[in-house]
Amino acid sequence: MADFIQLLVAGLATGGIYALVAIGFTLLWQTSQTINFAQGEFVMLPAFFMLGAMSVLGLPFWGAVVVGILVAALVLGVLFKRLVVDPMLHHGVLPLAIATMALSLFLKEAVKDFYSAEAQPFPPLAADVNVSFLGAAVSLQSLIVVAIAIGAVVALQLFLNNTQTGRRMQATAQNPTVARILGIPVERMILLAFVINAVLAALASALVTPIYLAKFSNGEYLGIAAFIAAIVGGFNQVRGAILGGLLLGVVDNFAAAYLSAQYRAAIPLVLLIVVILFRPQGLLGRVEERTV
Amino acid sequence: MATDILTLEDVVAGYGKMTILHGTSFAVRRGAITTVIGPNGAGKSTVFKTVFGMLPARSGRILFDDAEITNMAPRELLARGISYVPQGRNIFPELSVRHNLELGAVMAPGGFDLSGRLEAAMDRFPVLRRKAAAQASTLSGGEQKMLEIARSLLLEPKLMLIDEPSIGLSPIMVNELFAILAELRGRGITVLLIEQNAKRALESSDHGIVLELGRTRIAETAEAILADPRIGQLFLGGGLVEKVPVIPGSPP
Repeated sequence: MADFIQLLVAGLATGGIYALVAIGFTLLWQTSQTINFAQGEFVMLPAFFMLGAMSVLGLPFWGAVVVGILVAALVLGVLFKRLVVDPMLHHGVLPLAIATMALSLFLKEAVKDFYSAEAQPFPPLAADVNVSFLGAAVSLQSLIVVAIAIGAVVALQLFLNNTQTGRRMQATAQNPTVARILGIPVERMILLAFVINAVLAALASALVTPIYLAKFSNGEYLGIAAFIAAIVGGFNQVRGAILGGLLLGVVDNFAAAYLSAQYRAAIPLVLLIVVILFRPQGLLGRVEERTV
Repeated sequence: MATDILTLEDVVAGYGKMTILHGTSFAVRRGAITTVIGPNGAGKSTVFKTVFGMLPARSGRILFDDAEITNMAPRELLARGISYVPQGRNIFPELSVRHNLELGAVMAPGGFDLSGRLEAAMDRFPVLRRKAAAQASTLSGGEQKMLEIARSLLLEPKLMLIDEPSIGLSPIMVNELFAILAELRGRGITVLLIEQNAKRALESSDHGIVLELGRTRIAETAEAILADPRIGQLFLGGGLVEKVPVIPGSPP
């Protein structure tokens, strides 16, 4: 039982991080048909903003996290939208997706060249201790990750459902033409979605980098995992991305412990194939009608 | 105040290389119900999209309340008192009925009494009150249309553009729909309507405009159009082009 709880908490911590990144996939897809293949790099990069804020500005860790999130909102939110998405979007979904692949390579190589190819130390979120949780000894770090991820998801849901701006954003995602007809500032809503995506990715960066250390290749697996999580949960639903992320994290940890650590990396793909076969729109997804 | 609330002068518009409106001109009488009819491809919906700033006019002028509004953005047109209910389903399926309705007030002026207006709308359309908390996707087709109409009335527009509202509705709903349009006219709201069911629509309208191939063929009282033998011909195929000379002068 204690093992089970340990694994569950560790799985939820991983899953919470996947969820934060996966939500961004759904936000960008819904508001602007953007599939961001640089999403993993959007998680890798803010850690370096944070390291920079600590070494250059001399800020304490949490101050650097805030600065890193703000810089990410500007660079990976506003500038990404203006410089990559806007010029490419009217060429179609595929050219834009390819442009984001190019961006992914560019960001990885840029970090390697300008910073270092070596993993950089990154401060831990908390002291490396275990605390007793429901009779099991679980790492404090994991609990903090779970708490912050849940907090961020709840805050996002409250914003989307309980504020006027949030509902206008949802309206823009569900039917942009009608949103425009009703006078919703559609462009501003889409930009907001990009900013939220960048903020969530930067937050995920602060949560995940203490585990893996800051390295240019950190985004590779994370981007794929979050992409799979979004598809499994439902690419057009924020709550689908949350479910997909948590599920993937938990299944991943349990499979490694109870089945085989060797096949661990295959588990998300098996999950993906099963879901696509039996429920192509994802667990919570809505069937999208497309005219070809 | 001029008797015409909306005037189109030689409006040219289209999609890409295709021109749909080849210099469309007509005027819409204030406080009346006017129905635009015409065969498929005549440019009826294109007229609405162009008036509402969803499609740029390449040339020509559009006047609303004696001011030029050519190529103004929807936000500006809403603020001036025009609303638009396009063809098909125009709800936000995953928002509640109440939140859908509320989005009709995005362009509300300062001091706008939102909750009061929402209450009034739900008084007029009781089904929206009954299902206020439900997801809008759970409404029937007719209920969704009522929601769209209620939403577009929230800001008390002067002119409402409604494109094919009766499509897919039951005969009872169609009757209710036309009763609502008559009620709007009673409140002084000008209604410009597109209808496939031309006869039914003209029977409830004051004026009719017949479009063909992006040009105004006839602009008359609804009665006169209903009595016009050429109309049947137009809808049964053969166009007016060779058979009838274009009516000279400007539309009434």
